[in-house]
Amino acid sequence: MPIGNLRRGLAAWLLIATPIAAVAFEPETLGNIATLPSDRTHFVWVPDRLLGHSLLYDGQTGDVVATIDSPASLSPKSPLLAASRGEFYSVDLDYSRGRRGDRIDYVTIYDATTLEVTGEVVLPHRTSESNASLHHAALLDGDGFLVVFSQFPLPLATVVDLERRSVAAEIPMTGCAGVYATGARSFATLCGDGTVVQHQLAEDGRLASRIPSESFFDVVDDPAFMSAGRTGDTWHFVTFLGVVHGVRFAEDAATVTGSWSLVSDEERAAGWRPGGLQLVAAHAGAGLYVVMHEGEPGSHKRAGPEIWRYDLATREREARIVVPNLAASFLATQLGLEADGWAEWLLQLVVPPPGAHTIAISSDDAPLLFVRSAELGVVAVLDARTGEHLHDLDEAGLFGPQLGAL
Amino acid sequence: MSGIDEALEGLTRGLARRTSRRSLLGRAAALIAGTAAVPLLPVARASGESTSERAGRVPAPTESLDGPAGDPKSCEYWRHCAIDGSACACCGGSATTCPPGTEMAPVTWIGTCRNPGDDKDYIISYNDCCGKSFCGRCVCNRNEGERPEYHWYRNNDINWCAGAKSQAYHCSVAIVVGQATEGQPEK
Repeated sequence: MPIGNLRRGLAAWLLIATPIAAVAFEPETLGNIATLPSDRTHFVWVPDRLLGHSLLYDGQTGDVVATIDSPASLSPKSPLLAASRGEFYSVDLDYSRGRRGDRIDYVTIYDATTLEVTGEVVLPHRTSESNASLHHAALLDGDGFLVVFSQFPLPLATVVDLERRSVAAEIPMTGCAGVYATGARSFATLCGDGTVVQHQLAEDGRLASRIPSESFFDVVDDPAFMSAGRTGDTWHFVTFLGVVHGVRFAEDAATVTGSWSLVSDEERAAGWRPGGLQLVAAHAGAGLYVVMHEGEPGSHKRAGPEIWRYDLATREREARIVVPNLAASFLATQLGLEADGWAEWLLQLVVPPPGAHTIAISSDDAPLLFVRSAELGVVAVLDARTGEHLHDLDEAGLFGPQLGAL
Repeated sequence: MSGIDEALEGLTRGLARRTSRRSLLGRAAALIAGTAAVPLLPVARASGESTSERAGRVPAPTESLDGPAGDPKSCEYWRHCAIDGSACACCGGSATTCPPGTEMAPVTWIGTCRNPGDDKDYIISYNDCCGKSFCGRCVCNRNEGERPEYHWYRNNDINWCAGAKSQAYHCSVAIVVGQATEGQPEK
């Protein structure tokens, strides 16, 4: 049928059909755009390296509620939420011609309800990236400052004043990596001499003081992972062999509060040790969670079959949580199998479980633990206190080492 | 000497001051600061020599190995003991050559791998090839002696394309830059 005749035919059909439809029901409105709810208690960002974006899931329902583009040249960084400002921040990197041309590093500012872009801050230095990009950006307490890590040509931190939406300071951090929020105007970094260095900022965001801790780990024999967990004023750094070092941060001090082992002598002899990528998570009430495996030197990025939970007050292990079979869950979704049906049951039986690289925990009083293998597009949701596998976040992209619980 | 090279040399000196002698940070960090940056170092000298000059002093590692240990496309290739990424041999390049149209990052991380043919340890420079999107083929992650990002020259997580014109990571090569005269302290 010629196009002109087709159009005339359609128009005639609509003229006839519309009055009939109008009496049948109230017409739906065109152009509606969803917004995000104010209750984000169990929301979690799932960044994807290959798709170049971060999906925001409601961990309670398992639904995707929004997406933020995450321009990066390797691994996107999880967007950060400043609840008091009602804003998300994404540290982004773009080139004018795709993968080449003029480079620009910038912070994109999103309204946390509409996800509309409301501004950006161009960064003066090349932002860093790594396989997991853990602790390459930190929102300081009180939502006043965002700190972005750069590694080349020199390690440094760029402090962004979120009120003024401008760069407040550029602070060299020679020999160190990562930025860890330690207060409203302070952050720490992990250093190659086995210390952390506390950076205190003045009111305008410029560096006021730099305070190193004592050296508390051996960089060669038992280094601390970049992944670490925070409760209150203390960061818990975990080493390759399973030692936990607590460091308490104050305005003018970074104090090592003690070291303890995740493993018994027998477990150590059997090879049990931490491993993975974002392998540590902490919650003030529920404790410290670490992905564990039986390995050997060089196995420190291996996915772990278990997550061990510790009471931070007693330093006693309270649970050994078996990581759900994420490969079976992923395949079941891809194959369109009925949830909890016999075919999925069979998959759970025959597909080797890949373990977990990455965990994150929500900060509420009934916390959820999110569990991910970097190589599979699925995230398991567990009751953090009991370890019960509640459900999965399906079709969670293709590949990614991070999770960002709000 | 580029700005990055100068900066890395400064960083190397700073690290060396801050770190114990045992860690060898100052020495090894200089090794990876690029062959153009610190031409007086042994590895830099080696790479600046002709093949015949080098062959006269240090025999080349054995490459005629059976099975995966001799296959640059395999994760078990003997040079891949600390690689993290796509092997360039699967992406249009080779163990020592970046694929067409990419750029080899001048700054990188190093590993020490044992060649099963001659049972000697060799220092491997894992240079990233940059400027195109992730190749995604023959992805391999092995971490013998690998260390976190603050111990940066031993770290394979960092996107080393940061030292290239484009930070887009494509794949990694594994270039032998010298024979190790002592075992690496990191296990």
